[in-house]
Amino acid sequence: MHISEGVLSAPVLVAGAAVAVAGISVGLRRMDTDNIPKVAVLSSAFFVASLIHVPLGPASVHLILNGISGILLGWLSFPSIFIALTLQAILFQFGGITTLGVNTVVMALPAVICFYLFRVYVRRDNGFLFYASAFSCGALSVFLSCILVAAALISTEKSFMTVAKLIVVAHLPIMVIEGIMTLFCLLFLKKVRPELLEYVNGTNPQ
Amino acid sequence: MERIRNNYIFPLILALFSVVAVNSSALAHRATIFGWVEGDTVLTESKFSGGKRLVNSEVRVFNSKGEEILKGRTDDRGEFSFKIPEMTDLQIVLDAGMGHRAEWRIPEAELRGDVDVMPGSVKPVESSPEGPTLLGREEVKQIVEDSLDTKLRPIARRLAEMEEKGPSVTEILGGIGYIFGLMGVALYFKSRGKNNG
Repeated sequence: MHISEGVLSAPVLVAGAAVAVAGISVGLRRMDTDNIPKVAVLSSAFFVASLIHVPLGPASVHLILNGISGILLGWLSFPSIFIALTLQAILFQFGGITTLGVNTVVMALPAVICFYLFRVYVRRDNGFLFYASAFSCGALSVFLSCILVAAALISTEKSFMTVAKLIVVAHLPIMVIEGIMTLFCLLFLKKVRPELLEYVNGTNPQ
Repeated sequence: MERIRNNYIFPLILALFSVVAVNSSALAHRATIFGWVEGDTVLTESKFSGGKRLVNSEVRVFNSKGEEILKGRTDDRGEFSFKIPEMTDLQIVLDAGMGHRAEWRIPEAELRGDVDVMPGSVKPVESSPEGPTLLGREEVKQIVEDSLDTKLRPIARRLAEMEEKGPSVTEILGGIGYIFGLMGVALYFKSRGKNNG
């Protein structure tokens, strides 16, 4: 999922960086004191998740955790994921410094989209709707990331559909795993710290 | 702040650390290519840094002017080899698809080191100052080089494995420490702002 240096053309890199900067600034504006530790914890989780590697399918894929990040952080996912990606690029040589912007958008934008899609439902009582939306939140965020990677590669690879199909198929196991993980995380948090799900995005709905 | 400090950070940190412990033979997501010279052949090995071999991926070779001189695909063991096409710095580029790409450079000197001395290309020295020997100096040199090639092959492979080793625990913990350090800095400035205002 991390796009390496030297793969993308300059316009894609610049566009990615611009969207990333916009997202990060929205995120930073909404970050208040209470949110900072939460951002840091999820940033660390994201940082480590890429090391958990699922040896299924044709390619080498790893956990992303952007669904859970999105539902707990909203727009704050942008700064959170950006910090983790920067450290991964420097310490692990995952991705690259020039592709940092594109990679941030690839993983953080689906997080924000899933936040808006599912934030209402995951706060419901533990009914079918909660289970379904928690699972889809984890799975859909990975799926959207795959689509964004394919979109970023349009300029270099031959056809969008072929690449998209290839990436989505490679990440199918990850989607299922992330869906289940997101579901259990949210179940746990709901039982132990329900206010985590209430207080998101720098605005308290109460 | 009170409710944040209380209960959830500590278990989460514990969870993070247990993840690190389980994965200390860390598996990662980065494509790598490693190349070395044996005789007149360049061998390359391509892997994901978790150790999974990259099958049927495109490998392209460029000369020092940046022109593509040959390309091919890795076999089902992630290997691709070719005869040395010309005496130049070789830039070997692996394109693993899905945005993964890796490079390996082989300097001209490394190519020459193995190829320059071909059997019969240099006249054998008549006699060495140490006294009469049955073999000429060049012949001995050739034999030694052949045997070194064979002996060093496993070492070249070991080096390739080391190149592809995933992130170490130190780096992982360092990264997590960095993130929490940043959190501390952010909290410090936020709390100062609050006290002043």
